[in-house]
Order: sequence, then C-alpha cells, then structure tokens
Amino acid sequence: MRHSRLPRLHRPAQLMAVGLLATSLALTACGAGSRTGAATATKVACDFTNPASATTVNVLAYNSSAVDPYSNTMVSSCTHDNVTVKHDPIDFAGQVQKTTATLGGDTGTYDVIETYSFVVPDLASRGKLVALDDLFAKHQATYKLDAIDKSLRDAMSYKGKLYGLPMQTQVLTMVYRKDLFAKNNLTPPTTFAELRDDAKKLQDAGDMKYPIALPWSASSDISTAYKATLNSLGKNFVAEDGKTPNYSTPESTKAFEEMKSLLPYMDPQVTTFDQPKVQQQLYNGSAAIGIMFSGRMNDLVQQKNTKLFDQFAFAAPPAVEKGGKQYGALSVDGWSIPFNTKVDQDLLFQVIAASVSEDASKASIPAAFPARTGLDQSASPYAAAAEKAIAGAPPAEAEPWVPPLTSATTDIIGSVILGKTSVAEGTQQMQAAGEKVMATQK
Amino acid sequence: MRRREFWVLVTPSVIVMFGFMLVPLYRTVRWSFQKVEYGAPGTSVGLSNYSGALTDPRLGRAVLFTLLLTLVVTAFCLVFGYILASLVNQLGRMRPVVLGLVLIPYVLPHVVGAVAFSWLFDTNFGGIVNFVVNGVTGGMLGEPLWFTSVWPNRLMIAANAVWFMLPFAMLMILAGLQGVSTETLEAAEIDGASPLQRHLHVIIPSIRGVLGFVLLIFTMDVLRIFDSLIALSPQAVSLGNESLMLYIYNVAFREGAVNLGLGSAISVLTILLILVLLYPSIRTLVREAKAA
Amino acid sequence: MTVDLTAAEGVHPRRTLAAADEATTVHPPRPGRRRRRTVAVISALVLVATCVLMVAPFLWAAFSSVKPTDVAFSNPPVFRFGPTFQPYVDLWQTTNFYLYLANTVIVAVISTVVALAVGLPCAYALSRYAGPASLILLVLALIFRALPRFAVVLPMYEISKSIGIYDTRVALAAALIAINQPFTIWLLRNFFTEIPRELDEAAMVDGCTRFGVLRRIMIPLMGPGILTAGIFIFLFAFQEYLTAAVLTDINAKTVPVFIATQIGQNLPLLQQASAATVLLTLPVVGIAFIAQKYLVAGLASGAVKG
Repeated sequence: MRHSRLPRLHRPAQLMAVGLLATSLALTACGAGSRTGAATATKVACDFTNPASATTVNVLAYNSSAVDPYSNTMVSSCTHDNVTVKHDPIDFAGQVQKTTATLGGDTGTYDVIETYSFVVPDLASRGKLVALDDLFAKHQATYKLDAIDKSLRDAMSYKGKLYGLPMQTQVLTMVYRKDLFAKNNLTPPTTFAELRDDAKKLQDAGDMKYPIALPWSASSDISTAYKATLNSLGKNFVAEDGKTPNYSTPESTKAFEEMKSLLPYMDPQVTTFDQPKVQQQLYNGSAAIGIMFSGRMNDLVQQKNTKLFDQFAFAAPPAVEKGGKQYGALSVDGWSIPFNTKVDQDLLFQVIAASVSEDASKASIPAAFPARTGLDQSASPYAAAAEKAIAGAPPAEAEPWVPPLTSATTDIIGSVILGKTSVAEGTQQMQAAGEKVMATQK
Repeated sequence: MRRREFWVLVTPSVIVMFGFMLVPLYRTVRWSFQKVEYGAPGTSVGLSNYSGALTDPRLGRAVLFTLLLTLVVTAFCLVFGYILASLVNQLGRMRPVVLGLVLIPYVLPHVVGAVAFSWLFDTNFGGIVNFVVNGVTGGMLGEPLWFTSVWPNRLMIAANAVWFMLPFAMLMILAGLQGVSTETLEAAEIDGASPLQRHLHVIIPSIRGVLGFVLLIFTMDVLRIFDSLIALSPQAVSLGNESLMLYIYNVAFREGAVNLGLGSAISVLTILLILVLLYPSIRTLVREAKAA
Repeated sequence: MTVDLTAAEGVHPRRTLAAADEATTVHPPRPGRRRRRTVAVISALVLVATCVLMVAPFLWAAFSSVKPTDVAFSNPPVFRFGPTFQPYVDLWQTTNFYLYLANTVIVAVISTVVALAVGLPCAYALSRYAGPASLILLVLALIFRALPRFAVVLPMYEISKSIGIYDTRVALAAALIAINQPFTIWLLRNFFTEIPRELDEAAMVDGCTRFGVLRRIMIPLMGPGILTAGIFIFLFAFQEYLTAAVLTDINAKTVPVFIATQIGQNLPLLQQASAATVLLTLPVVGIAFIAQKYLVAGLASGAVKG
C-alpha cells in the first residue's frame, strides 16, 4: 500500500513559489478600481430621469483611439444615480461576432451597440434596431443634435427612418513617410500606377523592402479592399436592377488585377494584416505607405507609440485609374439601440446622445473625425486629407444585401489574392455565391 | 458491494454526466438533421447536412490535417517525453525546479499560450524566433512565412502542440518510472544488457500501461485541438490547416450565417471518427477489466 | 525552436540514457570517463534547452508587458529599455480585469469542490462493484471525455439562454463539472483500487456502513489522491477557453476569454493583454511549483494501472 505522506518541497522550489505568488499580489495591488481611460473621458451633461431601480447599460463597442472617446464619455458621464454604464474592451472581430450573437434571440446582452453605415441597412431591414426618429425629435434641442451632419444621418437611415445616431465619419485615408518621400523626391500618389512607381522607387533606393502596407486580412478586411477597388472603378456589388451581382463584370476582373499588382510591394504576409498590424508596420518602419480608415491615423503621430511619430504625413488615397473615384470607402460610425434590450429606450437614447454632444465631439478631435458640423479640426494632422478623401470617395452602397454578400464572398476574394484561385474562376464563384444571396433577398 | 449501494453512490455523478452531456448530445444529433440557427426553430432537411458535409473537400482536408497533426505530435511527445522523464528522474535537488518550469506550458490556458507563442513568430511583434535563429545560424533560416505558408504554419502549430502537451507526457512517464523495479533492472545489468537494451527490454515494457494511457489521452486531445489555432492560424481555411473542431466552429458559430445544422452534422461525424480510433483502446480496457 | 530541438535529437539515445543508468548501478570501471562527462553535459544541455523553450513564450510576453509602448513590439526587437508597469496599472484600473480574474478563480474552485464531491462516491463504487454496470459506466465515461466539445457546448448555449442562466458563473461551473467528470472518476477510481478491499470488509464487519467506510476510512487514506485529482480539475477549469467563450459574455467572462478578445487590438491594449497573460500565469505557475511533487507522487501511486 503506497500512500506516502505528502512529500516535502525542496527549498529552492518553495522559495520560487512564494516569490511568484508575492509578485503576482504586488502587481495586482495597484488598486482594482474601475476608472475609464482618463485621457479620453470627457464629462458631459447626461440628465436622464433616474430609473426606479438599479439599471446597468451594457455597451458593445470595439476599442480604437477614435471610438474610445465616445464610449468612455458614455461611461463616465452617464454612470450616476441608479444607472451604471459598462463597457468591456473588445477588438473589432469580437464586436462583429458579439453583434450577431446579441441580436440573435429575444434577449440580448447589450443595450447599446456600435454600428456603422455598412451594416445598418441590413440590420434595420431585419427589424434588429430601434427606429430613433421620435427620440431624436424629443431630445434634439437638449443635445443640439441637428448639428450632426444630415448626410451622415441619412447614411445611418433605412427607408427614411433613422436607425443609428452618428458619432464620427471614417474614411479610407493614406498615410506616408514624408522623410522618405522627400529623400527620394516623391509626391503622394494619385493613381495606382503612381503608387506602384513610388513603391518601386523606394524599393530600388534600398530604403524599404515592402513599402506598402494595407489591411488585407483574408478573414475580413480584404473584402473592404475589394469593395474599395471595385467602387473606384465605378461599379457597386449589385447592378442598378437591384438583382444581379456585378462580380462577373470586366470591372471586377480589373479590380482583382489591380489589387494583385500591388502584391510585389507588400509584405508576403499582408493577408494576415488587420489595421492594428498595418499600424505596427508603420511604427516599426517596415512600411512607408499605408491606407486605413481615418480613425487609425492619429495613433501614428503619438510619441508614445513610435519613434517615427513626426515623420508621417497624410493624403487622400489614390484612384485606381486616372479620373476615377478614389480607392475609397466612407463609413459612418454611430450608436444604435438593439430591438431586444430591456432597458428603457429613452434612457438609452440620452446615453448615446450625451456621448455625441458638442463637448464630447470636440474632445474626440484629433483622434476621430466627428459627425458634428462646425467643429474646429485644425488640431488634427489628417483632417485636411480626410476631407479630401470624403469628397473624392465613391458613393456608398447603402443596401441590406451588402453584409450577406460580403460574408459569402470573403473567402473567395482571399483565395484569389493568395493566388490559390485564378481571377476568372474566382469571379465566377463569387457570381454564383452572390446570386444565391440575392435570391433570398426580399 | 451490493447493487443498491453501487447505484446510490453512483447516481449523482451519473445524473451530472448524463444530464449535462447526453441531453445536449441528443440536441446536437437532432440539429444535424435540420436547417437551424440560434433563436429560431429549425426545419427538417433529412440527411442533406450529412451529404453536404461529406461531399465538401474541406471536411477531407480537415480530417487529414487533424490526423497528421495527431500522429506527429503524439509520436514526438512519446519519444521525447520518455527521454526527458529519464533525464529528470536522475535529478536530485534541481528536480522540483526543472519540473516546475517544464509544467508551465501545461498549466497555461491554451489560447493564452498560443497568443504568446504566435508573438514569437510574428514579425509585427518583434519576430524574435527569426531574429534569434538567424543570429545563431548566420541567416540560414531566412524569413519563413509562418502565417501564410502551409508548411511553416503547420510546423508552428505542431511546435505549439508539442509545447503544451509534452509536459503531460513527461509527467505521466516520470510517474510511471517511479514504479520500475530496481531488482529487475539490476538483474538485467548483471546479465550484461547494454543501457539501450535495458531501456527497450526492461523499462519500457514495465511502463507499458503508462505509455498506453498517454497514447490514449494524446489521441483524444490532439484530435480535438482548437484553442491554439485561433491565434496561430488566422488563415487556417485557405491554408488547409483547419482542424476538425475549428471547422465546426467556423461553420456553426463564426461565419455570418449561423449554420447550426451543418455544424452539428460535422460534430456527429467527428464523434464517429473518434469512436473508431478509440475502439482498440476500449477493447483492451474491457478485456483487462474482465480479467481483473 | 527548430535549432534547439535538432540539437537534442542529434544526441544518440544510447549515450544519454547510459548516463541515467550509470547513476543507479554498480559496475566495473568502464572505459570512457570522458564519455560519461560528455553525456552528462549533453543531458544538462538538453534539460536547460527544454526549460528555456518551455518558458520562452511566457517570458517574451512578460518582457513586452514592461517595455515602454514605443519599443514593446518593435522589429528588430529591443533588449535594453527602461521598464514600466503602466500596462499593469491600466489593465487593473481601466478594465474589469479584476472581475475576470475573480470569475476564473471562483468557477475553478466551485468546479473542483463539486466535481470531487460528486465524483468520489462514484469512483469508490466503481472500484468495488464487480457487476457489468461498472464496466459500462467506465467505458461511457471514456467516450464522454473523448467527445468534441462543441457537440455538447453549443446546445448548452441554447439551453442556458432559454432558462436564463446564460453568462453566469453557475452555468459555466456546472458545464465544467460535467465535462470533467469522466476524468475525475477515472483518476479517483484508479487510486481507490490501490486500497485493498480487506479494509472495507473489516470495517463493515465491525458495523460500519458502506458510506461510513467511504467517509471515515477511504477518504483519509486517499488524501494525496484527492489532492492530485483536485489539482488537475482546478487546472482544467482554469484553462478552459472553448466552453467559457460560448457560455459567457460580460458578467461571467474569464481571463482566457478576455485575452482572446484582445488579439486584434491596437498597441497599448495589446500590452495590456500581455500584462493579463502574466497576471494569469503567475499564480498558476506558483501552484505548479508547489503541486508538482504531489502530482508526480499521486500519479505514481497508482493513477495508471500497467
């Protein structure tokens, strides 16, 4: 019978164990409070009627230096009396997944969700979002909501009703290393041909092996890239008849060819890059030109993020072909109320209205490009570029079929760019998948 | 023990296992015959989920990849785990320290370990592996595309699986080695057996049971590998590096259209595969238990 | 990693193992004292290399978490820097990390205690009862352990939502208790079979009930075994990602789930994720150091029957 007494631990191991536990306690002793990111939390008036019992408002929003000011304002300004506003950090992929999950049943976890013009028509058409027109009219004066650009409100509307309260515009903007451009006598490119030229010159000068960095992550962002290219060539996902997908048009083939033409100038692992990774490439000096949504631009000029913070300049993205619209995308980010929330909708609207109030919107500059008009953007290093980008971006295809088409075709797009599928076969597959999706659209 | 006593003692555990596992399992089987998504009742579609799954080459790729990974990781961990256990067995004072350090990957949550592991290989986060290996070998490694090339990615996944499963193999074998009789060993030594012969003919046979157990656990666990692939292989689908569990996740949970029916069908097929692979072990088990 | 493993594999097994054997037996003087020394050095190298490789990812994450943000993830990597604990402070104060950590520990503790309470009687019964039901139950338990988790967890998601326990610690703990039962009863049963039946019979002759035998004789004798099983169950619960990812959202979120949602974050938050990794690992590593002796002794004393 072997039931030995508990073996004794030798001293070195004992000491190490105690040391580790002590270290972990010390590290965690910094105070488990819950304060929001102090630098970005503006306190504004959030004067709702105090609900009778303790209420928690759960906010779903990804983290980026552009969105954080708004979500932090919500938390810091509207957490008082019986109301607590909670916001957990989550990355963009997580937000997308959680949005589907929380809107999937009769009860959901979140009471306020971050939405953007890309998904609003689809969600609204399926009845997943609350129409905000009445609440908007009711609180318009208090929060000065009419200063929010009308065209942006339209971007978050569906069939004439407002489904999201815009907080900021995000537009694809180009960033480049002004020191390297100066050194090689380059100017910011205005077409893809110029982009290739500039990149080649940088490569030849030995300054950079892969000068271009784009967020072409094969699991999601690449379909945004394809869309931007296709739109720049003048075509939407679906033709004017509202039924036939445009994937088998010559423009679609050209879009792929143009995208592939950039591959020699980009890191071979570019299909694993999401926007934070593109930022990382720029921080590390591994790339000289990048195109990302404007909310990611301000990070690049922060000294705490990179030693190259003072070497970045901004411009509107190039057009694929001369005279066409830019390789661009215009997205309006805002707040929506899910249909299945159990919290009082008036309260929720006041929470989101507070977050886009004047003071909060002002404080979000330069990290974000607020949806409110009439604000002074001169502090923002990229605002001028963003405005040009907004002016030259292709018009958005605000239809409910855009997200399902994207889900159905992302893998194929990735496969074509990776070279696993030929362009001809890829466009065929996309057309077939697209037709299947359109058949289920009402 | 009398039968009534047996059932009284066993019932709580049986309720827990059957209640929490059999009931959901039944649900999964029901779903596999439907077209269904969360929050909505499903419509029956007969066997079309199964035929859809079986005719999709993606399933075949997932099966092959998972089986290959299981084979490679198990073989390596058995061999190297044995070597490591033998070495650790000889240690005196340093044993707790070495053992403690080696156990670290085993106690970390797999997804956390995989995220940290992926940072070692990602040039966006320092690319320390390339840096060190190139530094030591004078650039022989080059710049393998760990995340977008099929075989480098597979190597990374296998390395990570070995990393977090080796401690378990080593621990089990080390425990088994404690039970090897020294008399038999000495007898073999006196008979003139070389060290290798002693290992092959005395030690390994006497820990046969342990090795069998490790083999069983490894087969079960590596076949179901999932967490680590999330961090290590974001492009698993296009590289053909999808494991069976990741495939189920992608179909049933992640990809926009929540296709529970198809995901459940693939789950059922996976269960059948696992049962087939486990059959020899189960048969041995039953035989041994009957003999006892 | 590739280089070091090749170095280890290049070692001739005969030599390494020879060193292992030399220590235990007495033998006539062998030629090659130098050979023994080489072997000893190689074994030491293999062990050191293995230790370093095992700890490397964690070390790198820890390193990155104390570097200033602008060099944390720079390429080429930077090894000289002024350390800062800001990511830890930010993690602790601006996120609900303390909640996630509490959730992880609470769920692990509940799982362990209840799993043992439910599994001990069952394992005891399985080790003593000779009927076919015993064997069938054991085989079923094995099959349950081998199931792909999704087959079990996805329906649990639906069920928990419909009864309203979605995103609670209770639901997660219950799921983990069930999922880890097979392992629990297998391990404990093997320990129980080590204890001779004569003890039971002697006690029962003296008037003890079966349950009394379990409580007063078996459990005290099983101390190391219960501890071993408890440590394993605790670790499994601590490590769990898949079940937690499906069954929790914001209230019962555990640390592994939190870290997984930070993979695509920007730079400062990524540093916080590495800080979270360190904070999660340290206590568990502490447990590993303290517990490893118990694990080895416990497993050796009969976890696996040969």
